Amino acid sequence: MRKFFRSRLFLVSLLLVVIAAFLPFELSAYVLGILTAGYYFGVFAMSWDLLFGFAGEVNFGPTFLIGLGAYTAAILDNQLNPPVLLCVAAGAVVAVLGGLLLAVPALRLSGPYFGLTTLVAVLLLQNAIVIFAHFTGGEIGMTVPDVLSIDAATNYWYALAFLVVSAIILYGLSRSAIGLILQASGQDAIEAQALGFNVTKHKLAAFCISAFFSGIAGALLIFYLGATSVDQVIDISIGVQIIISAVLGGRRTILGAVLGALFLICATEVLRPLGQLNTFVVSGVALAVILFFPDGLLGHVLHGRERE
Amino acid sequence: MSAATLADSDVRLEVEGLTKRFGGLVAVKDLGFQVRAGEILGLIGPNGSGKSTVMKLIMGIVRRDRGSVTLDGNEVSAWPPHRIARAGVGIVFQQSRPLHRQTVLENIKLALLPDSLLRLVADRHVDERARAIAERVGLKDVMQRRPSTLPFADLRRMEMAKAIARDPKVVLIDEPFAGLTISEVATFSDLIRGFREEGRAVLLVDHNVKSVAALVDRVLAMYLGEKVAEGTADEVMRNETVRRVYLGGKIEASAQRDAGARERTPLLDVEEVSVFYGKAQALDKVKVTVGEGEFVSIVGLNGAGKTTLFNALSGLVPYAGRIAFAGADLGGRSAASIARGGLVHCPETRELFGDMTVRENLDLGGQHLAAPERARQLAWLFELFPILKERSGQAARTLSGGEQQMLAIARALMMEPKLLILDEPTLGLAPVILEQLSKALERLRATTPITILLGEQNVTFALPHADRVYVLEHARIVWEGSPTRFAEEMGTGYL
Amino acid sequence: MLALQILIDGFAISSLYALGAMGFTLIFGVSGVLNLAHGGIMVVAALIGWLAAGDLGLGVFAGTAVGVLAGLVTAYVTYLLVVRPIQRSRAIPREESEIFILTGTLLWGIMIQVGMAYLFTDNPVTILPLIDGIVNIDGVRTPKNEIMIAVICWIVIGLLWFLVNRTPAGKRLLAASINPRGLTLLGTELSNIYLFVWGIYGALAGLAGVLLASFLGVGTQNVGQLTASAFSIVVVGGLGSVTGSLLAAYVVGYLETLTAYLIEPTLRPIPALLLLVIVVYIRPQGFFGRR
Repeated sequence: MRKFFRSRLFLVSLLLVVIAAFLPFELSAYVLGILTAGYYFGVFAMSWDLLFGFAGEVNFGPTFLIGLGAYTAAILDNQLNPPVLLCVAAGAVVAVLGGLLLAVPALRLSGPYFGLTTLVAVLLLQNAIVIFAHFTGGEIGMTVPDVLSIDAATNYWYALAFLVVSAIILYGLSRSAIGLILQASGQDAIEAQALGFNVTKHKLAAFCISAFFSGIAGALLIFYLGATSVDQVIDISIGVQIIISAVLGGRRTILGAVLGALFLICATEVLRPLGQLNTFVVSGVALAVILFFPDGLLGHVLHGRERE
Repeated sequence: MSAATLADSDVRLEVEGLTKRFGGLVAVKDLGFQVRAGEILGLIGPNGSGKSTVMKLIMGIVRRDRGSVTLDGNEVSAWPPHRIARAGVGIVFQQSRPLHRQTVLENIKLALLPDSLLRLVADRHVDERARAIAERVGLKDVMQRRPSTLPFADLRRMEMAKAIARDPKVVLIDEPFAGLTISEVATFSDLIRGFREEGRAVLLVDHNVKSVAALVDRVLAMYLGEKVAEGTADEVMRNETVRRVYLGGKIEASAQRDAGARERTPLLDVEEVSVFYGKAQALDKVKVTVGEGEFVSIVGLNGAGKTTLFNALSGLVPYAGRIAFAGADLGGRSAASIARGGLVHCPETRELFGDMTVRENLDLGGQHLAAPERARQLAWLFELFPILKERSGQAARTLSGGEQQMLAIARALMMEPKLLILDEPTLGLAPVILEQLSKALERLRATTPITILLGEQNVTFALPHADRVYVLEHARIVWEGSPTRFAEEMGTGYL
Repeated sequence: MLALQILIDGFAISSLYALGAMGFTLIFGVSGVLNLAHGGIMVVAALIGWLAAGDLGLGVFAGTAVGVLAGLVTAYVTYLLVVRPIQRSRAIPREESEIFILTGTLLWGIMIQVGMAYLFTDNPVTILPLIDGIVNIDGVRTPKNEIMIAVICWIVIGLLWFLVNRTPAGKRLLAASINPRGLTLLGTELSNIYLFVWGIYGALAGLAGVLLASFLGVGTQNVGQLTASAFSIVVVGGLGSVTGSLLAAYVVGYLETLTAYLIEPTLRPIPALLLLVIVVYIRPQGFFGRR
């Protein structure tokens, strides 16, 4: 444990967090807004990495869990107007239930079949939202009466704090005994069982944890934006961006996912003048990374040191 | 320790009437045995005998159809694997299964962790115990290294460490010595003996008796899912049924073959070929030559390396060394191009197109021939194997084992090979089919200039046709000579 | 009369679905790849075909041919630039190569979608019908084009069946999907087989795209949905089973048409999705799935 606090990874992370905390004093509200969204995205990506990198389950529809969290919170707030925290909690609960729902076929299917199930889940949610438009605002989306704050800096700090707490928990889990068991379950389920571990139980736990953080992050994002729509939290392209973030940053590193997410959000911003083509360029870069650096940014750095 | 001095209450593992089918195939049939504390039982059988399935059945990885598995008096046949493991069974699989991103110590620690979602940090004594186990199996110096940097023997040591970490009452080991050098075999034997001293019940599963004879107290020989003999290692090795089933019967050489010591142009030249699967050495500087028109038999038990050698010849696995065919080096050529060049491999697994008909399979074999030539080959093969003509419209997977083997050979012959490699054609076939195959091979040799390389465990089948014999054992060629000399020298000592 | 209308419309759309789905499942059966850029290939073919037929003045038939060619080229680019490098990459462990191919083709599909939208805008295009005019079947006024499309689809399906079951090249394809190692040992280079099958796939997907543009109109927004519906059909029918895809295409096509006519046009994609969910939960290998 003490070794970690002295490691380069921890020190660099600490430095980055400190710098990040002071950014609102230097940057415009616009840039802060981008970073805020990026931080929530970072939590999406970390949750995905926990499920994939550790439990070995490829989730092609992380937006299913995020969307459940976001829309539950939004609908609750619109219909009954309870305190924001309660809405967020409700979103988390529904997301976890959704995670369990996904977990059931996951445990019986493998490889491409499970990926399919996750895609189907997203499509179903998307269509359900469009059908029940009077509750959900359909394709146009809906606004929420409450927001976390109107001040850009405050929103930014909320997001940063949430990111840091989530990162600590998720990274900690990944390095803990449970993380080790999860990795074993994901890499070689039979051997894990032969060593005495109930793989089903552990994979279910991984789904729930991933769903929990995705759901909360989704709900918080809604209260930051003040509005929600299918395009923002459910569309498959969002899911793809989350996967790209995690892969770019480095699978199985948890922290790399945050780097990947920030890179993606900033790159999309920087390339905005290109109009529609910015997606083209970003996807192209991601494809190149997949082909030539499958280990991702952080993965490459960490593994490089291992190889010595 | 003789069986008579161990009481029944010491029975740690008992299997009774165990039966398992996979579709139409009976993998294990009505098997029963006991393993006592402080005893090592060897479960022996060739490929396809069901021994690995038995291990998986005991561990709960595969569900039984009938029968029972009892652990210390508890019926565990319906338990999930992790529960059986926690009840005191440790298993060492044939393939090492490490976590690649973790160190050796972390891999062993994993084996010591409780199956809990709430314990984030492992107990302090887990670390101590993990180190102790690492030392015991001989991994003290490599504890902080990752599996990919370890030599093969150390990986196997780590598997042993994981299996005994939680102090199991029963230890199951699949092919304990595969891939190890002679000195490593000695060290591992000592380790396994140590398990016996500690009062554990040990079940070893292996291909042949010879390799585990020195270690086991008792042996149970299996064939096609059933028990064929049980007793001490000596008793089993001398057992008539066992010898027939493994060797095929009496070893006789056909007198006329010895005349074939004449000069032949070499068709196949294998020079110092070695093959590694990851860290395990499957072939060690093997040297084989086959002359034009010759029939060469490579004899060896399962796991000796015959299939690996043939895979290297046909370009399916990478190798170190040189292989020359018809004067040209085969290195760097694709498997398909080697086949087109006249070196045709008929593998042990046959690799038929199950959903396609017999005729379609044969046509695919002859795809490189012009239509009239193909028709001629087909007619000739239907004459050689009349049963195929009868079944020509049937799907290949509906054929019996013997018919499938004939189809595989016929399909290979459709390619008009210069050298035909046959890998264990007799595996799992009834004696009457062996007769037919034998006759077909005779006709083949009598009527065509074909060169044949046969790999077989069944010496009775392999000997009468051969001009020369090689013996492959533990990845090395250990003997070469004429069939007559083989019958004289190796006859009894072979098994 | 509504029943007859449903019957005819359902038949036409199902035939189109079948064409696309059969190609998709062929690729999976022979080369083990789930190509998530499928919709992209169809849309490229549709847009290029429309451009050739209209702006370049080549007329409808030549335009269709150019569209199919565009589909072929795009499929080859997908295979050679995205799929094959991932399959051959030594940096990617074999267990993960499927996931990487899925992600890679998904990304490539997005690139196609955005790239085409930049070049053509995302307005849907409609190719002029191959045959003008309307025919009156028992009181139902059906465009002749619709019937023509169904006929073309079935001719191509028939040709495909003939290719796979009666020609040596096709039998090699079938053999490759059953046992690639067996085929290698018989002297066939698998790399040639893969090139062959991706070519067939490109032509099938391209034709499906062009015909769809002629029937309903196609735009870059349809990329994701086209991939999703081909995916659904192929899973329901059984991954790798060409017969299964054919049957499933009709089941899905008719479910959609029935929904559109009897319930609500906007709910069109729902029953197929529900069917997919049921199949995935109860019988994940689909109707005729093998793997």
